[in-house]
Amino acid sequence: MKALVKLEIARTLRNRKFMFFTVAYPSVLFLLIAGSTDADDQVPGTRLSMPLYYMVAMASFGALTAGLMGNGERIAREREDGWTRQLRLTPLPGRGYVGAKIAVGAVATLPSIVIVFVVAAAGKGVRLDAAWQWPALTVAIWAGSLVFAALGVAIGYLASGDAARPVTMIIYFGLSILGGLWMPTTSYPQWLRTIGDCLPTHAYNALGQAIELGGAPHTKDVALLIGYLALFAGGAAWLYRKDTRRA
Amino acid sequence: MTATTDVSAPGAGAATTGSPPVVRFAQVNKTYRSVRAVADLDLTLYPGETVALLGPNGAGKSSTLDLLLGLRHPDSGRVEVFGTSPRQAIVRGRVGAMLQSGSLMRDVTVRELVGLACELHPKGLPVDEVLERAGIAEIASRKVNKLSGGQEQRVRFAFATAGASDLIVLDEPTTGMDVSSRQTFWGGMREQARQGRTILFATHYLEEADAVADRVIVLHRGRVLADGSSAEIKAMAGARRISFQLDGPLDETALRALPALTGIEISGRTVRMRSTDADATVHAVYGLGLYPHGLEVTGLGLEQAFLAITDAAGGTAPADEEPTR
Repeated sequence: MKALVKLEIARTLRNRKFMFFTVAYPSVLFLLIAGSTDADDQVPGTRLSMPLYYMVAMASFGALTAGLMGNGERIAREREDGWTRQLRLTPLPGRGYVGAKIAVGAVATLPSIVIVFVVAAAGKGVRLDAAWQWPALTVAIWAGSLVFAALGVAIGYLASGDAARPVTMIIYFGLSILGGLWMPTTSYPQWLRTIGDCLPTHAYNALGQAIELGGAPHTKDVALLIGYLALFAGGAAWLYRKDTRRA
Repeated sequence: MTATTDVSAPGAGAATTGSPPVVRFAQVNKTYRSVRAVADLDLTLYPGETVALLGPNGAGKSSTLDLLLGLRHPDSGRVEVFGTSPRQAIVRGRVGAMLQSGSLMRDVTVRELVGLACELHPKGLPVDEVLERAGIAEIASRKVNKLSGGQEQRVRFAFATAGASDLIVLDEPTTGMDVSSRQTFWGGMREQARQGRTILFATHYLEEADAVADRVIVLHRGRVLADGSSAEIKAMAGARRISFQLDGPLDETALRALPALTGIEISGRTVRMRSTDADATVHAVYGLGLYPHGLEVTGLGLEQAFLAITDAAGGTAPADEEPTR
């Protein structure tokens, strides 16, 4: 299993196009969206500044994108190509395959998070109250993104090659918007907020926000994310084992 | 002679029937939508055998191998590999397999990919040894997605033989290989057999089965049609087609009683027959005092040989179907 993780990471790092977009995309998005906001603008109902809010939101969003998009479509294609069938003829357990794919997501997202922070701090003058908040945010966003890498693997197993992209897109936009990654959910009607509160994206976002505000992440959010991670990773491993698609 | 010769004992170079079977199919059925891919299949492989699974496209070869490898599950019946489930056997490193189609991992080198297989296998062999044996040592640093068809097949073979498995399963392994690659490939395969491994491969080339296997199982419509040594199968497949026209009155009963016949069809003045011994049959036609016109004796293609066997087994295949190969 270690061998597969190593090889998967090596070949992802070799895929320059994928790495470039994964790493640069969140920073570009941050500059586009937060470009017009001012450090004095506050998110309604909180004491967070808009640029700070968007920094965390975009770092999270970028990490989510890398995990979800990177895995979903590529796995659907690998499955269609027949590579996973060949892999199933080895003693590799389902969790090994899923673990390797999540690890790949993790490797690709870490630099993207760090770069958003650097761009936000240098370009928009974003500051945090305490120095510990920076590494705490990085770790929280990074670890939280594993949930979406696992979801990507599961989608790659549920959808066929052509459907994987639209399915991923729908889930991606739905989760991002409802979970409040693009705009604060404070502006949503109550019923929509109730739905949004149960989504992994909401908990993911809340993780970052709690740290932004100088506190520790809420247990509820952490528990929700761990629950989703177990669900997605377990589901993906199960689908890997029972997949009978032919090349 | 019946086509379904019950040669249940393993063929020539084989092994002790007493030892526990490597593979056992018991009344296995598999249907995809309305197609019955595998029908009441009973099959037993013994240690040390090299077995060819022979049949035309659509005979159920790949489905049988999929079931054997646990890639699919039977609708009914049991599939056992080394006395356990296929998956268990694979996890224990007892089975190495090479599929007919499907691409390999992209963006990695041949060495990296084969190395992965070696590390995943519980009884993995050294990468260099595996590369050498598969004849791909010199392309070890090439990217897997930039290989020719034949090279890719050899990489697949290396992937399948990366560990010390007891059973090696190959689905049409020489597809896309040229003649010399084929020879090298089967050379490597014989080497595996000499080390005591059981080998099962699917093919639609009779010659290939003949040259390599010591037991040949002919599949047709998901059933075992014939199971015996390659010589026995060749004898069955060696059937000939005889056709001629007759002028005089046609004594159907006498014609049907001709020796070595496996099939006969009479339409108007034209008689078409299949025979396992054309010399004897034709001789007997003249012996009846008949004067056949336009006598033709032709060999059957493999496809037709299969049909001949099916027919003898009670099928209703037409006598004059065109050979496909």
